[in-house]
Amino acid sequence: MKLIVEVSPHKKADYGIPWLMKEVLIGLAPVILASIIFFRIRAVFLIISCLLGAVISEEVWMRLRKKPSSLRDYSAVITGILLALVLPPKLPLWVGFLGGVISIILGKQVFGGLGQNIFNPALVGRAFLMAAFPVMLTSWVEPFSLDAVTKATPLALWKFSKEFTPLKDLFLGNVAGSLGETSSLAIILGGGYLIMRKIADWRAPLGMFLGMSILSGIFYLVNPLGGSILFHLFSGGALLGMFFMVTDPVTTPVSKLGRFLFGLFCGFLVIILRKFSGLPEGVMYSILIMNGFTPLINRLTKPRPLGR
Amino acid sequence: MLRIEEEKGPQKNFYTQKVLPQKVVIPLSQHTGSLPKLLVKVKDKVKLGEILAEPSSFISSAIHASVSGEVKDIRIYNHPVLKKAKVVIISAEKNSSERFEPPYIRGEEQVKNMESSELISLIRNSGVVGLGGAGFPTYVKLSPSKKVDTLIVNGCECEPYLTCDYRLMIEHTESILKGIEVIAKILQVNKVYIAIEDNKLEAVKRFNSKLHTKKYALPSAEVVVLKSFYPQGAEKQLIYRLTRRKVPSGGLPFDVGCVVQNVGTCFSVYEAVYFNKPLIERIVTFAGSALEEPKNLLIRIGTVLEELVEREILKFKKEPEKVIFGGPMMGIALDSLDYPIIKTTSGVLFLTGEDLDLREESNCIKCGRCVDICPMNLLPLEFVRLVKKGLWSELKEFYISDCIECGSCAFVCPAKIPLVNYIKAGKEKLKSLNKT
Repeated sequence: MKLIVEVSPHKKADYGIPWLMKEVLIGLAPVILASIIFFRIRAVFLIISCLLGAVISEEVWMRLRKKPSSLRDYSAVITGILLALVLPPKLPLWVGFLGGVISIILGKQVFGGLGQNIFNPALVGRAFLMAAFPVMLTSWVEPFSLDAVTKATPLALWKFSKEFTPLKDLFLGNVAGSLGETSSLAIILGGGYLIMRKIADWRAPLGMFLGMSILSGIFYLVNPLGGSILFHLFSGGALLGMFFMVTDPVTTPVSKLGRFLFGLFCGFLVIILRKFSGLPEGVMYSILIMNGFTPLINRLTKPRPLGR
Repeated sequence: MLRIEEEKGPQKNFYTQKVLPQKVVIPLSQHTGSLPKLLVKVKDKVKLGEILAEPSSFISSAIHASVSGEVKDIRIYNHPVLKKAKVVIISAEKNSSERFEPPYIRGEEQVKNMESSELISLIRNSGVVGLGGAGFPTYVKLSPSKKVDTLIVNGCECEPYLTCDYRLMIEHTESILKGIEVIAKILQVNKVYIAIEDNKLEAVKRFNSKLHTKKYALPSAEVVVLKSFYPQGAEKQLIYRLTRRKVPSGGLPFDVGCVVQNVGTCFSVYEAVYFNKPLIERIVTFAGSALEEPKNLLIRIGTVLEELVEREILKFKKEPEKVIFGGPMMGIALDSLDYPIIKTTSGVLFLTGEDLDLREESNCIKCGRCVDICPMNLLPLEFVRLVKKGLWSELKEFYISDCIECGSCAFVCPAKIPLVNYIKAGKEKLKSLNKT
């Protein structure tokens, strides 16, 4: 009788990383669907190019390093899709592909692969494109327009011409913006699914929600032109960040308190950047900055063991 | 809080059966503490219940012959916990008396009038140790160095599959209560909690109905029904849940005025005090998908697993691929069936492919599930990182010594990292570094 000898426990949870990632894909589905509804075939093509960039570079990298393929963990797929969702619809497809490559190689693999990276890979890709192609990354189109009528985003309208977009449009998503950022409804549906299924922890989103609400609320009380709480929550990349970026396990703190604080400071930073920086939007930089603080937050929020 | 599929049926509902072995292999060490002093030699005839080795120091335990017969050998043998250890091998007489004949029977009045010191020495001489897992000598726990005000009787049995404590609570409710009475008297506590999980409501009912008769000198006893989760039965966690007292790191329950005893231990105390019966047998759960019929057996200490299989007391419907002494969360996987049941063996599981998770370990994604679940509030993922890098001294800064190795972290890990493996390796390395 040949018996397997290994250390306890001898029972483990059914789920694994591939299952978690597939659940994230299900959570992303409403967002992807909304982007296709609003930006039609452009959304489909851009998502595919980012996806190809991410998946191909992941596979090539692993082959070059003679390691087993890591496509089955679906993390490259998620990175590719998330990247597409934070890019403008009119972006040339080759730029999207390049973004996918950068996300995987610079955002993840150079750190040592899945779980080792410090910054959110999709946002690293976007930050790179932002630096390399600033004009392309800030040219937006009206939803439903196949001939690509240029249109400013609600945040740009607010920042540069003090013009407010109706909340209803921000909520449903028929406004200019990145592929997956326009429809608050779709993001809340998908993000809500992730939280209900306990794929994403609710503490980081709650922290970000509170951070943004508190600061934008104060600014609004001082001067209503600062934009209402709901305006800030529903415009730009706030909700996508709240549900799909600050909930990334790898680049955020490991303790419950740490995750909450991470989200809270992200929320503060978003409002500060929107109000005081030269750019209308600040979600990407807020999250990347806080990613850098994750090790520090981990150290400061080390839980106290029972009996110490 | 971790919820694991219970897998306690159908063995949960079967009456405990008795099994008498033809041969027993009795390790000298079945407890936490120093080795007892051997009193027999090869070829000696021993009677059932006769002492084989006596406690050698303050923390030690006696062992007794669990069959009548002849000492065949004293040698090194497989040991489920220590891997290899010294044992006494006794082959049973052909017509060995099936039952233990008490040399002495005490009535309730008699027990009530006994001094604590007398009771403790009876318990000590009977080789009673904690049957919940660690095997800490019971008489030591009953002579605390500090004032104790709370006795917690642990009937949680939070490990999946295991039902030995449940069966004992159902079949011997009164005896357990009499054992608790003795312990409460020795410790002079003013509060007794009997902690049972809500998946064992039948046991709760029985305890409550017996307590209502007011027959027992346990005015402050209370059956506490706890929502089942793992690791409910872990000592420090149980104390915290019931009393909100935190056992200090490296400390003992005494330090917060508590003593925790497993229900099985209470039963053994009862047998020791009322019948002078040493700890020669216990209930063991046999379960797992390889078994034709899972069951609970009242089994003599030292019975070798192989004999149970050869005599078809345990029948396989499938070849087992993993054999575990203990529960699936903290039990020890063995490499053969040539191992004896010892005092702390609560169950033996025979698992086949369908129960096993052989997925390979992948990178940690720092999701923090291990941190959220850790009942000691530790950072299990950090242990893995530090052990992989060989940063041994940093392990202390993350309080690796506080880890109770309950396995919750490894259970919830989506990357299938064998965290307990890394933690054990880290602890061992630290121990060896401290020695040099």
